[in-house]
Amino acid sequence: MATTVLPRPKQYDDTFFKPISIWLTTTDHKLIGIMYMVTSIISFVIGGIFALIIRLQLSQPNLKLVDAETYNQLISAHGVTMIFFFVTIFVTGIANYMVPLMIGARDMAFPRVNLLGFWLIPVAIILYYCGFFTGGSLNAGWTGYTPLTEKAFNHQTFGVDFWALSIIVWAISGIMASTNFLTTIVALRAPGMRFSRLPLFVWAQISTSILLLIVGAPLAAAMILLEFDRQLGTQFFTTQGRPVLYQHLFWFFGHPEVYVMILPAFGLISEIVPVFARKPIFGYMSMVAALFGIVFLSMTVWAHHMFTVGMNTYVEGFFMLMTMLIAVPTGIKFFNWIATAWWGSVEFTVPMKFVFGFLATFLIGGITGIYLASVPVDTQLHQSYFVVAHLHYVLFGGSVFAILAGIYYWFPKITGRLLNRTLGEWNFWTVFVGFNGTFLIMHTLGLEGMPRRIWTYANPAWATTNVIITISSFLIAFSILVLLINVVHSWGHGEIAGNDPWRGNTLEWATTSPPPPYNFERVPPVRSFMPVRDLRESGELIEAEPVLTPT
Amino acid sequence: MARSARALLTTIGLAALAFLLSSCDVGGLSPIFPDPVSPNGKGIYDTYVGISVVAIIVFIGVEAALLWVVLRYRRSRQPAGYMPPQVHGHTGLEIGWTIAPLIIVLAIAGYSFVELQKDFQPISNQEMTVKVSGHQFGWDYDYLNGVVVHQEGSLAAEVTPFVVPTNTLVKLQFDANDVIHSWWVPAISGKTDAVPGYDNFSWLKIDKPGKWRGECAELCGSGHAQMQIIVQAMDKSDFEAWMAKQKATTASPSPSPS
Repeated sequence: MATTVLPRPKQYDDTFFKPISIWLTTTDHKLIGIMYMVTSIISFVIGGIFALIIRLQLSQPNLKLVDAETYNQLISAHGVTMIFFFVTIFVTGIANYMVPLMIGARDMAFPRVNLLGFWLIPVAIILYYCGFFTGGSLNAGWTGYTPLTEKAFNHQTFGVDFWALSIIVWAISGIMASTNFLTTIVALRAPGMRFSRLPLFVWAQISTSILLLIVGAPLAAAMILLEFDRQLGTQFFTTQGRPVLYQHLFWFFGHPEVYVMILPAFGLISEIVPVFARKPIFGYMSMVAALFGIVFLSMTVWAHHMFTVGMNTYVEGFFMLMTMLIAVPTGIKFFNWIATAWWGSVEFTVPMKFVFGFLATFLIGGITGIYLASVPVDTQLHQSYFVVAHLHYVLFGGSVFAILAGIYYWFPKITGRLLNRTLGEWNFWTVFVGFNGTFLIMHTLGLEGMPRRIWTYANPAWATTNVIITISSFLIAFSILVLLINVVHSWGHGEIAGNDPWRGNTLEWATTSPPPPYNFERVPPVRSFMPVRDLRESGELIEAEPVLTPT
Repeated sequence: MARSARALLTTIGLAALAFLLSSCDVGGLSPIFPDPVSPNGKGIYDTYVGISVVAIIVFIGVEAALLWVVLRYRRSRQPAGYMPPQVHGHTGLEIGWTIAPLIIVLAIAGYSFVELQKDFQPISNQEMTVKVSGHQFGWDYDYLNGVVVHQEGSLAAEVTPFVVPTNTLVKLQFDANDVIHSWWVPAISGKTDAVPGYDNFSWLKIDKPGKWRGECAELCGSGHAQMQIIVQAMDKSDFEAWMAKQKATTASPSPSPS
């Protein structure tokens, strides 16, 4: 079999430690993808530390580890950091790295827009954190409901202003990235890569980008109107205006944002299950249809966050029905994943373990979502710890487990080295136990009447549950520490992966690990949605010379 | 959905949950709300139970399927050199698991909608109306007869109870003076937001004397956690006596704290 040795530009040595000038000026989608991911992991650690402080404060009744004002800033920063600066940014980063590779493109359609879009993210993050160094950050939760965020009730600090500006910058970056993804996928597909052959991860990125394009602007609009209120004295959302209007605008973004975070996760799961089950994805067309079903439905459900605000019962009934209907496309995806693994030869590598962790926990998040969609039940559960548990089941048990699966799955492609399997097993089992220990029993706190976002409580009946939750949350922190050690260690010293350690299906496995700046020396022919597998089976797969050789 | 179907589902649900409750109610971990004392709370409780019947079945079914894949289809359990059947899909199955969840969610939505129409419509047959007004950080209860109970928030001490007569349909009208608050006493019913400049209402009809606790459920500032709520239900005669005393206190030039 012919082998080709690729001459490699000097800056593409295999380590993370490239000259800073390369990191600052590169328009390579892969390096930008890495920067997105590293930025998001830093946010993850910071948001995680906030979470641990919150959990320590809540571990016993009447603790005064932090005061109420600091606590409110911490929960706001935890929410904003995890949602805006971790999960969304990570999935953007991994898509930035993988989408051009998976469609056989050489880069994104607008490489410099890509660069600008990325650098807006650190700007957004720094803007948000400016609040902490100017007297006080946002203190009204990540949703920043008016009138609490209005000047009349929040004039001591600039925290709200920094948050609003940060979110505006973030939304602009998201719109840039979405435009770029859509153009890239439409215009730069390799010969033979028809839409009907796109990997499901790429389909997920199409649906995510459409969603973010539509809902990013209303979010920015809400923030701009809020700033008008605060700085120019307008009355859009003040007590003289319509505080409820803010909620409509915010949740018109806020609920689809949940799908901006989970659809790429669905894409990841759809890539990983077939590879390790050695079967093609079950129901490719219904998987794609389900993605767009979710995109459509997700924009018709926002007011389910507002069932206690006082709406007409028929309006509430509509939003309840649409919300519950999301279970249908999600169910299609879920059953298709199970059917893909059914009769398979399932290899439980670390990424596959995380996939099954995702399936087992995301199911719980989906089911509790049905309870929350039911208007009467929601009036009890809303704004309680039941909601906190639910949202962590979909965001952590869903998105983050899928992200972890993605890290273990694609780390060899990005760095050329495998993550350590033993540490990976430790990472999986501790995070799985820690996660469920933290959030499963948290549902009961909500049922017993503990509201979310209270900085302390007097009820001694909640003490036992809370202390168990706090201990479990430290197990999660330990697990993430194991992951970080694994990543840092394996990046330099991990086992050499080769180009295709998992016997993958999609085009990124046809090139070297890490791929050269131009991605492919010769873009392989695409004859189905599993091009690399086709080539392997027909004996046409040209093994690119491995970049890393054992030393 | 017919009332009888609701009743049937609820009965099955209660039987299933009785088992769960007995196995889960350890160390204060209860998988359900406190016993409801008002009909709307009871309606929510029953809806929760009804949904739980379906939810538990779906949960067990799907987790069992996942477990089956883990145990049966792992590579070490397959014969050496096993090549899985290369199935690309099955239209019948895919339609099947589109229709089945659709029927389930339509049933749950219908079941919930019946409860929504029953207990969440505006009422006009109330025997008493109280204007509940939230502020940073406490609640005012205006009985519309000159008597106002001020329930100033506190975590350290027990707050002044909001007193209502038993077996009386009380309409609660909500308003807020500054930011959004949310009135929540889990044993009575769900939350009702108090949004400044936005009408909202709820009602209660408590069936026995007693005291029930709740809290503000919408982040409203640094004193959010201290916005405790206590609702005290009294027999009608006791309530009349209490009200007479309140009126006297209000009328006197120097009202003493209740």
